[in-house]
Amino acid sequence: MANQTPAVVMDNGTGFSKLGFAGNDSPSFVFPTAIATKGPASGAAGSGSGRPAVANKPSFLTGGAGPQGHLSMKRGTEDLDFFIGDEAIAASSGPGYGLHYPIRHGQIENWDHMERFWSNSIFKYLRVEPEDHFFLLTEPPLNPPENRENTAEIFFESFNCAGLYIAVQAVLALAASWTSSKVQDRSLTGTVIDSGDGVTHVIPVAEGYVIGSSIKSIPIAGRDITYFVQSLLRDRGEPDSSLKTAQEIKEEYCYVCPDIVKEFSKYDRDRSKFLKHVVSHPGGRQVTVDVGYERFLAPEIFFNPEIYSSDFLTPLPVVVDGVIQSSPIDVRRGLYKNIVLSGGSTLYKDFGRRLQRDIKHLVDDRIRASELRSGGAKSGGLEVQVITHKRQRHGPWFGGSLLGQTPEFRSYCHTKAEYQEYGPGIVRRFALLGGPGGS
Amino acid sequence: MSQSLRPYLQAVRSSLTAALCLSNFASQTAERHNVPEIEARTSPEVLLNPLTIARNENERVLIEPSINSIRVSIKIKQADEIEQILVHKFTRFLTQRAESFFILRRKPIKGYDISFLITNFHTEEMLKHKLVDFIIQFMEEVDKEISEMKLFLNARARFVAESFLTPVCIASTLAESVC
Amino acid sequence: MLLLDYQNVLIQSVLTERFSGAPPVHIDQTVSDFDGVIFHISTLESKTKIMVSIQIRCFQDLVRYGAEQVLSREYGPYVVPPEPGYDFSIVVDLENLPAEKEAREELVNKIALMKRNVMAAPFEQAYQEHYQLREEASKFTSEEAPQGVREGGEVKAIHYREEEAIYVKASHDRVTVIFSTVFREETDRVYGKVFIQEFVDARRRAIQNAPQVLFRNDPPLELQGVPGVRNTGTGEIGYVTFGGWIFLEKQNAEADQPVLFPRHLTPQRMADVISHIQTFRDYFHYHIKASKAYIHTRMRRRTADFLQVLRRARPDSEEKERKTASGRTFKVGV
Repeated sequence: MANQTPAVVMDNGTGFSKLGFAGNDSPSFVFPTAIATKGPASGAAGSGSGRPAVANKPSFLTGGAGPQGHLSMKRGTEDLDFFIGDEAIAASSGPGYGLHYPIRHGQIENWDHMERFWSNSIFKYLRVEPEDHFFLLTEPPLNPPENRENTAEIFFESFNCAGLYIAVQAVLALAASWTSSKVQDRSLTGTVIDSGDGVTHVIPVAEGYVIGSSIKSIPIAGRDITYFVQSLLRDRGEPDSSLKTAQEIKEEYCYVCPDIVKEFSKYDRDRSKFLKHVVSHPGGRQVTVDVGYERFLAPEIFFNPEIYSSDFLTPLPVVVDGVIQSSPIDVRRGLYKNIVLSGGSTLYKDFGRRLQRDIKHLVDDRIRASELRSGGAKSGGLEVQVITHKRQRHGPWFGGSLLGQTPEFRSYCHTKAEYQEYGPGIVRRFALLGGPGGS
Repeated sequence: MSQSLRPYLQAVRSSLTAALCLSNFASQTAERHNVPEIEARTSPEVLLNPLTIARNENERVLIEPSINSIRVSIKIKQADEIEQILVHKFTRFLTQRAESFFILRRKPIKGYDISFLITNFHTEEMLKHKLVDFIIQFMEEVDKEISEMKLFLNARARFVAESFLTPVCIASTLAESVC
Repeated sequence: MLLLDYQNVLIQSVLTERFSGAPPVHIDQTVSDFDGVIFHISTLESKTKIMVSIQIRCFQDLVRYGAEQVLSREYGPYVVPPEPGYDFSIVVDLENLPAEKEAREELVNKIALMKRNVMAAPFEQAYQEHYQLREEASKFTSEEAPQGVREGGEVKAIHYREEEAIYVKASHDRVTVIFSTVFREETDRVYGKVFIQEFVDARRRAIQNAPQVLFRNDPPLELQGVPGVRNTGTGEIGYVTFGGWIFLEKQNAEADQPVLFPRHLTPQRMADVISHIQTFRDYFHYHIKASKAYIHTRMRRRTADFLQVLRRARPDSEEKERKTASGRTFKVGV
């Protein structure tokens, strides 16, 4: 039966989970990676949820050495009483439920919650029998192999899934860029700029393998842009400067300009650049908010962080250049040639163009300097190319969908039988999907 | 606690305490090697007589001492198919995390469910009586855990079955009154 | 989550959004459902026409039991010739939606329940047969009833999964639904046995008017002579029989004199029962998996407890920080 069923692609990120079936061009479900369980929110009472307080019996022969964990028999079904995704957010605003985010900084922290989150995603939302489907999951770069093993343990032992493949998000983002017309050879070498809500990563990938030592993260991402827009609105005293409004303005009007000074003067000359944003409140009231310089200023914090932050001052192009320079010399050319964007905060118009120009400047300056130093030798130049494509927003998911539908995908997965033969250690190694020899 | 458990655990405790008398001992067969003799089994003269403490045919402990290491293997009570599966699952779960349980052997020896290997290096850096405490407590709690899991499974199954069958009953009672 | 939904959540949410008057966009999604059912939602040449197609492995079986009548009853005006590769398709034109909000919601729900409706045909047919047989049987006492009435209708087999099937049989006193179940994995088989045992016991213990549930490893009497029913004798296939699911008064079905009050199910309730029984297998498997997840949770806790006990065996070896008189700190090694 598993022969016809589409593979399930799940990209569980810190903020949002993207779930869907391979072969589709967008995930079927995108909802917060949140779970609402009965009881107080995380952090309360060390024992955590689900563990009832029971009188401790002194243990035999240990002389009752301190209180020890005693799990009492529960007839209850607390472990079935939970919600995930948007329903979790809704439930947690009511009484009785606490909200938890099982993934922190891209890595799974609470396996109990994650297991239940998956269970509900599979049975309630995707509605599949895991025994019939192959699964493609994602993991952040530098995920410890133990986490992979735990994931495999859950997927094979709890869910009996037919087969499992765990791919690194950055590699999938590279694969997603194959849809762009600018990409001629489907190589898995490139630099991925993954900017989500919380943090931006710059990840060099060579031949499908992440160069872990060179990864850099930047504490500026979508949320910071929203805050920045909000602060600009507040400064001007707009009638509505809520976070939600700021986010709407960010998503609808912002773009990247080639030069801020020129852009300012352009705005001053041409009043039509100023826009109005209408916020409708529940209850029919409408408020109009002016949208001005923040249209190009907000994304500018990637390129000139000093206008927003006082502790992080390195512009994104410099970080990217540094990352590539710290990578092994034989892959740098490939890394410059294939800089791929991924994540919601890279969607601004002309973001890629500006990035490409800035990095090109840095590279050209360096080449010129070294030409001078070498006294007359001429460099052949270096190609810098930033790839923008249509599937950027859910890049890793789309890459997974793309690879998951290839006919050879199943042969790259580890199957349940293999898992039982070798044990969880088997998932430490996966053949490189879509690598050399692949499609 | 049942009457026979106390003497059983007491016997394991004293035998273990007696057996945990380890000293550093370099391998006699390979130069500059220092291996647990109980595992290597290369020099019969440093192995001591193994000892089995059995509570009944389903529950027993095998203690195999040697000069620098002992191996403790436990057979956990398995009354039926469900307990068998649960014990298997649980011991596998534990051995999967053997790295953090310094003394846990990744594979149980044949005929037992779980094995511990304690070497002189362990006794040097850990308190001996606490190690014994750990093994005893492990034996106590593993039984408890298995029976709790079994109870849970039964309770859950009952709950699940009833809730699947109930909506229909409620509906049928309604239908009854309608008709 | 305790019970599974009957409808497909994704279809429901996509259509709700589309029907709410949002600007039409291009859709092309393949969606999977339980038991290898595949849906395909796509927009046709114009973005306002949404096609929903279903592919289901036992469609031939279902057609034999009148699936087409059920489908044309449910989706009458929307039915179109099936898309290649799929078994059944409908097209909804966004420009031609029912005007009232309620009617629109109902249409969404109806489409989301497509799998349920396709599968419902043999069940509905069995009910009809049952009513007929009961009419006839009421004319006789049980001893002299003709062979045909006593034996009931033919067994309808729905091979909804590769190795598993649902059998539906109507007789004059009940409708019997039999699920054959296969467990590919030892753990699941053992857990499954515990669960099924509770299903079997539920009626005896707690819920008086629950349907009778039987479980056996060899094909039950009703299935004798049905082609495709294998008796492997190895016990890997199990048969779960739901008997008398439908009728309260059939509790004493074992008794010689069947109760003959001419009671009929209300149509609404019959629909509910059909929806409900269809989810049995998935419900069953879902809960086996959920229990495993819970047992994992317990094991994680217990492992943490054990580790804590073991950690106590280590003498306090943390480096202690000490201060000199001048306020500088230094570390005392172990």
